[in-house]
Amino acid sequence: MNLTRRNLLAGAGSAPLLLSAQEALSQGAQPKRGGVLNIILNPEPPILQIGVNNQTPTLICGTKITQGLLKFSPSLDPLPELAKSWTVSPDGLEYVFRLQENVKWHDGRPFTAEDVIYSVMTFNREIAPRLRGVLSGIGEAAAPDPHTVRFVLKQAFQPFLLCFDATALPIVAKHIYDGNDIRSNPANARPVGTGPFRFVEWQRGNFVRMERFDDYWKPGQPYLDGILWRVIPDGQSRRLAIQSGQVQMTTATDIEPFDIPALRQAPNLNVTTRGWEYFSPLFWFEVNHRVKPFDDKRVRQAMSMALDRNFIVNRLWFGLGKAATGPVASTTRFYEADAKLPPFDVSKARALLDEVGLRPNAQGIRGSFKYVIPPYGEIWNRMGEYFRQAMRQIGFDVTLESTDAGTWGSRVANWDYEATSNVLYQYGDPSLGVERSYVSSNIQKILFTNTAGYSNPKVDELFAKARVAATEADRRAAFSEVQKILVDDVPLLWVVEVNYPTVTDKRLHNAVQLGTGDHACYDDVFLS
Amino acid sequence: MPGFVLRRILKSVLVVLAIVVCNFLLIHAAPGDPATVMAGQSGAADPQYMEQLRRQFGLDQPLTTQLWIYLRGVLQLDLGYSHRQQAGVAGLIADRLPATLLLTGAAFLIAIAGGVTAGALAARRAGSWADSLITVIALAFYATPLFWVGLMLVLLFSVYLEWLPSFGMSDPGLALTGPALWWDVARHLVLPAVTLGLFYLAVYARLTRAAMLEVLDQDFVKTARAKGVPEGRVLRAHVLRNALLPVITFAGIQAGQLVGGSILVETVFAWPGIGRLAFEALLARDYQVLMGVFFVTSVVVVLFNLLTDVLYALIDPRVEVA
Amino acid sequence: MTGLLRRFTRHPGAVIGAVALLLVLALALLAPLLFPGSPWDMAGAPFSPPGEDGMLLGSDSLGRDVAAGIAYGARVSLMVGAVSTIVSILIGVALGALAGYLGGVVDDAVMRFTEFFQTIPSFVLAILLVAIFTPSITSIVAAIAIVSWPPVARVVRAEFLSLRGREFVQAAEVLGKRPLSIVLTDILPNALSPIIVLASLNTASAILLESSLSFLGLGDPNLMSWGFLIGSGRSVIRIAWWMSVFPGIAIFITVLALNLIGEGLSDAMNPRLRKRGAP
Repeated sequence: MNLTRRNLLAGAGSAPLLLSAQEALSQGAQPKRGGVLNIILNPEPPILQIGVNNQTPTLICGTKITQGLLKFSPSLDPLPELAKSWTVSPDGLEYVFRLQENVKWHDGRPFTAEDVIYSVMTFNREIAPRLRGVLSGIGEAAAPDPHTVRFVLKQAFQPFLLCFDATALPIVAKHIYDGNDIRSNPANARPVGTGPFRFVEWQRGNFVRMERFDDYWKPGQPYLDGILWRVIPDGQSRRLAIQSGQVQMTTATDIEPFDIPALRQAPNLNVTTRGWEYFSPLFWFEVNHRVKPFDDKRVRQAMSMALDRNFIVNRLWFGLGKAATGPVASTTRFYEADAKLPPFDVSKARALLDEVGLRPNAQGIRGSFKYVIPPYGEIWNRMGEYFRQAMRQIGFDVTLESTDAGTWGSRVANWDYEATSNVLYQYGDPSLGVERSYVSSNIQKILFTNTAGYSNPKVDELFAKARVAATEADRRAAFSEVQKILVDDVPLLWVVEVNYPTVTDKRLHNAVQLGTGDHACYDDVFLS
Repeated sequence: MPGFVLRRILKSVLVVLAIVVCNFLLIHAAPGDPATVMAGQSGAADPQYMEQLRRQFGLDQPLTTQLWIYLRGVLQLDLGYSHRQQAGVAGLIADRLPATLLLTGAAFLIAIAGGVTAGALAARRAGSWADSLITVIALAFYATPLFWVGLMLVLLFSVYLEWLPSFGMSDPGLALTGPALWWDVARHLVLPAVTLGLFYLAVYARLTRAAMLEVLDQDFVKTARAKGVPEGRVLRAHVLRNALLPVITFAGIQAGQLVGGSILVETVFAWPGIGRLAFEALLARDYQVLMGVFFVTSVVVVLFNLLTDVLYALIDPRVEVA
Repeated sequence: MTGLLRRFTRHPGAVIGAVALLLVLALALLAPLLFPGSPWDMAGAPFSPPGEDGMLLGSDSLGRDVAAGIAYGARVSLMVGAVSTIVSILIGVALGALAGYLGGVVDDAVMRFTEFFQTIPSFVLAILLVAIFTPSITSIVAAIAIVSWPPVARVVRAEFLSLRGREFVQAAEVLGKRPLSIVLTDILPNALSPIIVLASLNTASAILLESSLSFLGLGDPNLMSWGFLIGSGRSVIRIAWWMSVFPGIAIFITVLALNLIGEGLSDAMNPRLRKRGAP
């Protein structure tokens, strides 16, 4: 790297707003053809077709095969993918997408507007539970020509574009799925997409092999010859694999938080926590409002005050996160910085509980309840252990219950719990990822709804208003107000905005550029 | 003899069927079903989605119907279909079984060969320092958690010495074939097989030593010695042969335990076998796969027991096969 | 009895084992005195090496004292070992006695039942049971007991088969003693020594089993057991070896001690049995 090139890049620094200096440098480095990228795949997903399965590993792996119409920058601006341009009518009802030409499916058939309409109106409407509501708001879908798609909404819905990421609305081949049962389609085992890599082989418990798709629609791309996804179920083995160079990349929860500080020091590795802005996972402790005394907001306020969020971020997450300030993550649109939870204060929390009338007995116990530990890894256990000690400080005796995925899911879904924790993605906009946990119309016996049972008519009204408001200013006003109400009501005990680390070998370039990070299609990733 | 074998087979089939039914009921008694697991892992769900999944998995049928369907399948050697993984259970297990058989087979050989040799050595020099050393080492391995030994071996041979790979069954990145692939697999096999083998090696060493001492005490050995048969021949022809009986009995029982141990070892070493398949299936409530693994392991264990009985009869003609 | 004790103490391994077990027992009993407060308290800096920050055996990822964890863990591990062994012995003795004393159809039925349990890999069954009934101290103890009674039943049955034909049993029968009373007062006391030896060995394997379950994440999250310590330490073994090494040693010492005691006991009570070996 010589000085002139560096200066040149510094001058061009304003253009790639979404790139860090590090990646700008690698952008400057000439992309190189060839090489196979080894990535860790953990836990091994059951199937690789996005939409049919939406676990994080499926999404990270499947996005290399299946693409979306759009992709999103870290500041959540839409960027072209299968759609090369788009227009939105002033009333916010009509969306027209111009599609890329010369796009081929991995089986050689051409990609057309019909595939997009089928994917949106049939495939995803049938199997994407999160967006079913949004998609049924589409009044009309038409293809005026093979490379144009037009959607007309029944009602304005400002975050509509945000739904077109590959992880939310994957575009699948109509000729493969139409007329067949989606969930049992044999293609789910060998996904066919438009992406830069095509599926080759899956040795269960061992690896998934993808090869460069030679007919990919961007000429000369992708740069890599293939991607090898390696299944390594043990955390320490994963760390060893990235350290020793056996794999060049780890994602999401592959590496335990406590290993990150050491990996940051490793000369051959880069560690970044960017690339999760689109998802903005928010971790919270959840109490069941149907259980006394959790129906009293002062009790919830006291519990929230008993949590030392900085301690949690530093000690439990090893700095991989940010103390949450409210229901909306700071990386999500319409975050209201003025709506803040009261700070950590144990004596104030105790006083509040005294005021409620929950007086401690001789052993200093005001009450006891059970906490169900979600079965997703060590950090969840540590969070439960922290929660128990923190509640002990204000006089609650907490018993922890271990569960497996089946038990946890069914107990939370059936409201059969007193306290637990959860992480939910925010998908860039409160109407998409926040509203669902607080509005009373979404109190359902289903996971990831308002399982806590919180209900506040004012909150319902504000979320409804923000959902359909046509202008950004109106939405902002409603969201600001709702956030202020929520931080006072504390329906959930928000704790950490989680920043998952992506660890890459220094020879690997462009791995994290978008707001969806390692969920990108990787047509521009290369090894030097 | 054929009558005996036939009766044993019939009994074994009944035991296996009972196991299948029990597992089915046990597994379905657990709270939560595969649909909730899948919903939990995909971060979103609604009633229509849950219903789709349950219908697809056949969970909307009454339990007795599900049991009947499953039993009928098993009797036709059809282990069902994992909707979660969108693959036939028999295929999933067949993919993983060779890895586990290789691992447990290697571990079994290490344990039997090492254990019988060490036990025989100890018994021959009963009371000497060599005997004490062997006994103490055997006890030590016997008293150490299996996964712990695995971790320590990884620390020593993979992390510090960097001699052997610490996980996986081969390196898919190298795309090896033929002898090179076998060599690679062998290198990957060393640590897990030794880990799994050491514990059982300790057991066999203790068993062999005890059995040999008992046999050494018996009259026919004393007679042989008195007749001037060379000591080495006495040990080989008379003592070891008879001392092997309890070892074989135990080995038959132990075949099943090796599968249990392989769950731990496969977890530590990321070995792609059925132990891990079963554990992951359990955590994900992948009923069909879990029951399939149980079925296969039960069959393997029953076969081993049969084999032991036959071996027993061959080694010791005095045992009546009735 | 004194003869028994003398024979037991002639066995150096057994004496060492007994002393070690007593020390572990003392540690368990004195834990609240040695380490006041809860072993879960985040008392110091995380990942302090042994000896630093006032923590003899170092601290874990949340700054909890490993030494305190081991002391409190001794209570849990010994308790799990003892209770599950008692339960498994009770089941095994009841079934074994039934089969051995009554014989015939009952014997056949019980043995099929036992065979059934021995055909299912015991560790796999234990995992299944704990996972299904959610990990808690009760489910763990129950699962361990359920998978460890078959050998007891087999041994007891064998003893009963050989004892029930003896003169003193036949005499009791002729005298019109009730069967339950014969089983309890005549046969059982004579079959006690192999049961006691098996008990010490079963306790050892129960402790190992509990640690394996915890290692797989199936421990009771409210109890600081050795298995839990290793389980939480295993993922950080490269940065904090002390977190898993010391609890591992604790398990090793206890299990070894129990095995040594078992050997010593079997030697002392019944020299014949030792050679048969009871792994």
